[in-house]
Amino acid sequence: MIELKGIHKVYQKKNTEVQALKGVDLSIDKGDIFGVIGYSGAGKSTLVRLVNYLERPSQGQVIVDGAYLGNQSPHALRQIKKQIGMIFQHFNLLESKTIFKNVAMPLILAKKSKQEIRSRVLELLQFVGLEDKASNYPSELSGGQKQRVGIARALASNPKILLCDEATSALDPQTTQSILSLLQRVNKKYGITIMIITHEMSVIQKICNKVAVMEEGRVIEEGSVLDVFGHPEHETSHKFVQTVMNTDIPSRIKEQLRQQGTHSLTKLEMVGEHATQPILSTLIQRFDLKVSAVFTNMIDIQNTTLAIWYLDIQGDTRNKERALSYLKQNDVLVKEVTV
Amino acid sequence: MFDTSITLDQFIEAIGDTLYMVGMSLLIGTIFGSILGIVIVFTRRGGILAFPMVYSTLNVIINIIRSVPFIILMVSITPFTRVIAGTSIGTNAAIVPLIIFITPFIARLVENSLLEVGSGIVEAAESMGATPLQIIWHFILPEAFGSLILSLATATISLIGASAMAGAVGGGGVGDIAILYGYHRYDSFAIISTIIVLIIFVQFIQSAGNHLARLVRRR
Repeated sequence: MIELKGIHKVYQKKNTEVQALKGVDLSIDKGDIFGVIGYSGAGKSTLVRLVNYLERPSQGQVIVDGAYLGNQSPHALRQIKKQIGMIFQHFNLLESKTIFKNVAMPLILAKKSKQEIRSRVLELLQFVGLEDKASNYPSELSGGQKQRVGIARALASNPKILLCDEATSALDPQTTQSILSLLQRVNKKYGITIMIITHEMSVIQKICNKVAVMEEGRVIEEGSVLDVFGHPEHETSHKFVQTVMNTDIPSRIKEQLRQQGTHSLTKLEMVGEHATQPILSTLIQRFDLKVSAVFTNMIDIQNTTLAIWYLDIQGDTRNKERALSYLKQNDVLVKEVTV
Repeated sequence: MFDTSITLDQFIEAIGDTLYMVGMSLLIGTIFGSILGIVIVFTRRGGILAFPMVYSTLNVIINIIRSVPFIILMVSITPFTRVIAGTSIGTNAAIVPLIIFITPFIARLVENSLLEVGSGIVEAAESMGATPLQIIWHFILPEAFGSLILSLATATISLIGASAMAGAVGGGGVGDIAILYGYHRYDSFAIISTIIVLIIFVQFIQSAGNHLARLVRRR
């Protein structure tokens, strides 16, 4: 649906050049909720603006729904933009117009008939739960309600793609949750591909199926959210995962283990139904091992459970080997880690 | 009761002349000034239709006209005024320099008002695939409307001041009364009544501007 190939973006600022993007390749499939996470200045805002050509790449190709944006006429480009909705951190609503008019804006631009506009806007306001606010002004709404208006407006022209630029960063945690649920409904009900830019890992955890981690203008890690949460490969990804899920053994526990003479632990990573198997009792009963769970962590990622356990397994070496291969056969990722 | 030589009819006629001069030059100046203001917002670096050459040229022209005090501007363009209005004295002749004076002023005020509209609004409009004309008409102008009304109030007050100077070269209006009777004939009543009328005008315009701006702003 969205393909970015070899993207470079350079800004000229007075006499210096700022390299915002340094060779980004990214592919987003239809129906994805694709998250892009990074610290500020990583280039993620520039990246999302390339998809609807609010920014043009200095080098590289942007292909949206099969169309290469680089050689489109201004008119054709505007038609393509109507297929791509966008919502913003600060909502960018027209303060001088009612909620109805705000949502109707894309339809007014497309010169739709009055009746058509009316029925579509009312349908959208109902979808986002603001049917009673049609004649209010944005200043009378809360932040969460404003973002709902932003979403309704972005959906007005029946887009195939929805771009979210830090859409929940100005909202409190509870409102963030409700906006994310709404985005999930947008994805499910209308089959709209969503690209989300954020610096909050909890947003990725809640609704994304794929994630790209950005740093200094590059994508440093990319993959399914479960994979990146389970075993982040890059230091920055690891730090982001730690913000919502503490997978590192606390140093106090490490200290205790060393004092007891334990120097290695077995790390198990289980996903989905495997995460709820009676692992411990099997290890103890079937393989006659002494098992203690030193540190465990479970997290829900889009209704899939990810469990990470650190076990101290004592007993007969052969039994232990058999136990580990049993775990591997049951789709448990096993890794020996030193304390 | 007052030791004055002006009659009520003369005074009312002068007020009418002032309103006529201000009204006409405001109308025409607003049309030209708004267009000019929109063009310089569009063509500036980073604008919707960035065209730095056009922008810098207009920018310099606006600055040049605005550097000349109205009374000097008025006398220096007399030949031009004669071509346009057919005469260089009287109310109609005064309108020509008033328009030239107020157009770049309004252009600057419009520029400021439009630039107040956040870049986020423009970005939202562009993301919807709006054309440059749609961006100005459906997004920037409505959002800047309150600020534009206040700008127009400022411009109108400026014009009233300038129109009084037009009186000095036979332009008519209340300024004419103040100079002709008040200054040259030591008629204090003429001066004071002129001042009172001007104060009432300005108060009225500013309050009306504030009120209207509040109505459309809704923030």
